[in-house]
Amino acid sequence: MAQTERAREALTAYDGAPLRIMEVCGTHTHEIFRQGLRALLPPQVELISGPGCPVCVTPVSFLDEALLLAERGVTICTFGDLVRVPGSVSTLAKARAAGAAVRVVYSPLDAVEVARTEPGTEVVFLSVGFETTTPAACLAVKRAAELGLKNFSLLTANKTMPGAYRALKDSVDVYLYPGHVNAVTGTRLCECLVDEGISGVVAGFTGAELLTALAVTVTKGGEGKPFFANCYPRVVTREGSAAAQRLVAALMEPCAAEWRGLGEIPDSGMRLRADWAMFDARRKFDIPPLSGRGNPACRCGEVLQGRCRPSDCPVFGRGCTPEHPVGACMVSGEGACSAYYQYGGGSLGSWQ
Amino acid sequence: MCVGLSAKVVRLDQDTAIVDASGARREISVGLLDELEPGDYVMVHAGVAIAKITQDDGTETDALAEALL
Amino acid sequence: MAMTTQDTVTLAHGAGGRQTAELIERVFRTQFQNSHLTADDAAVLPALSGCMAMTTDGFIVSPAFFPGGNVGKLSVCGTVNDLACMGARPRYLSCAMVVEEGFPMEQLERIAAAMAQTAQEAGVEIVCGDTKVAGRGQADGVFITTTGVGELLPGVHTGGALAKPGDAVLVTGDVGRHGCAILLARDEFGIEAAVESDCAPLWGAVEALLDAVSDTHVIRDATRGGVGTVLYEIAGQSGVGIRLDAASVPVDPKVRGVCGMLGLEPLYLACEGRLVVVTPQERAEAALAALRATPYAVGAVQIGTVTDARPGAVVVQTEFGGQTLLPQPTGELLPRIC
Repeated sequence: MAQTERAREALTAYDGAPLRIMEVCGTHTHEIFRQGLRALLPPQVELISGPGCPVCVTPVSFLDEALLLAERGVTICTFGDLVRVPGSVSTLAKARAAGAAVRVVYSPLDAVEVARTEPGTEVVFLSVGFETTTPAACLAVKRAAELGLKNFSLLTANKTMPGAYRALKDSVDVYLYPGHVNAVTGTRLCECLVDEGISGVVAGFTGAELLTALAVTVTKGGEGKPFFANCYPRVVTREGSAAAQRLVAALMEPCAAEWRGLGEIPDSGMRLRADWAMFDARRKFDIPPLSGRGNPACRCGEVLQGRCRPSDCPVFGRGCTPEHPVGACMVSGEGACSAYYQYGGGSLGSWQ
Repeated sequence: MCVGLSAKVVRLDQDTAIVDASGARREISVGLLDELEPGDYVMVHAGVAIAKITQDDGTETDALAEALL
Repeated sequence: MAMTTQDTVTLAHGAGGRQTAELIERVFRTQFQNSHLTADDAAVLPALSGCMAMTTDGFIVSPAFFPGGNVGKLSVCGTVNDLACMGARPRYLSCAMVVEEGFPMEQLERIAAAMAQTAQEAGVEIVCGDTKVAGRGQADGVFITTTGVGELLPGVHTGGALAKPGDAVLVTGDVGRHGCAILLARDEFGIEAAVESDCAPLWGAVEALLDAVSDTHVIRDATRGGVGTVLYEIAGQSGVGIRLDAASVPVDPKVRGVCGMLGLEPLYLACEGRLVVVTPQERAEAALAALRATPYAVGAVQIGTVTDARPGAVVVQTEFGGQTLLPQPTGELLPRIC
């Protein structure tokens, strides 16, 4: 605890130049609010909630594709996070209420189990997530192949982070890197980004870990030179998980991907390779290209880029609440808008 | 973006293991890790062990604070 | 023909004829035995002294049997606890059952037995009832509605709008156990943990509390929505703030483990045997001592304080000296990976 106290002091006593820290990961956003750490930040340190919530950056058209499959009688297996996210006209929750088969699962491997026990049903897993989650989806495909299942496939919207780090670098002074992404990818890339002038700290998720990472961020960030530090070494190594990297490379390949709010980023998505086409729901069900329609007043896109705060959006807290989300950043528990709304948002600083 | 939970390996089978997080148990995949033994701690995400870890975040943050602050 | 344990409930049991009479006699009347439960159209009850409290609640739970209880026990606890929270000694219950065709008779008997046992423990009589049978698929197992009448203790004045700044906020035991037990019993996420529902009748705890601290301001039972929801209700109704000390909220480690796996917050998981109590701070120790001497409140602790800052809000004091709002739950609790 003594050292945590030291970290706390280093953070609260920071009196250097203004710093914009982007916590890339939505779970960080959530935990930083939950632990009350924002209240400890000096005024010149700004925390921007970045695009690391897979639900938030998943485009409307992806939900439309899932809803189309559900309408066709496919059993949709999904992480709970996606159930309330609005598509162009509906949500999976509404589709389920109207009789569609929508099952919440804890793991992509559970979706394979659904396919195995219900051989007469087509099962599609909604494969969202970043480098942390993609290996689990690949394990599911591999397992389905081993079992000889013909009724399991993925609707992929998997994404990778490096493109986003580069796309957003001008809005940020230091990234708080998502520890569990780095657990899989290792830290080499983040170390290389220092040469491009991009600074960052790998952070863990407990209160003590986040506090320490934030303290290191302001201490090193205040020095003004690009830097990298791994503040989560009990989980994150330089190499990451070689097995996970091999597995993903064997089954998937990079593709261009649309990020809600950021637009298309080349090579920032992952899709199944042609050899695995039978597990690719888009090819299997011949889904036509869909272009989703979001609510035009919603500023989720700018929120994700750190260009505005959730409270700057005209629908925030007025038509857009966690009960009735308009944008994806409100619907996901880790979305920046949801976190701001639920934890009292911008007014936090004044009531410590 | 990724809720992770540290849990202790209590039983190992080929590619799967039973892990325990303060009394809550579940089967997970350990297909991404080598050289696990019962008693080891792993970081679990979406039913898959993504890393072998040390359990104690206190020692870690103490060491970091010592080195970097 | 006599019923056997292999029997199931059929539509004939709900048709009002001989089989209905047999079902009522066999399953309910023998269990609920008391002088007010007769074969007549209504129970005739002696007048209660003073004011009467009355409440009603419907109970559907899937699965109907879970570690720590079943829908029958739940249907008595829920209504008894609602009366208790008003400072009313539970006296009489009615019970209306909708049973799905094909439901095993043996299970129905176990449900009735649990109701009888819980009613006896709570000192309440089940004086009238109704049984209907719904066609297969038109109901899920058993739906039970209980209505309760209780006798208000003289001089007791509690209510959700009576919390005052400076008051102590207590909870009578670890939170989120019922919701967690049900989630595990549904076995949707492959998680195993030895978690039992906290489902319990709480009149004994309330009586002991009011005996020791008659000026208790608020008593609420935390059911759906958990302790977090109750705290927001009290803050809203009383127009006060509540400061919650995160570290002092009791959570069973196994419940915490399950919540960790699924990304859920124990404060928002349902309880069925926990009270949130608000008393003047100087009476908190007396209240806690009285509660802890009763079987279902041995784990009573203070978890927070009523404040005049931020009316309507629940503020959490965190381990690191930070403060944050307790987020309010929205809709269905969904496990999350992000």
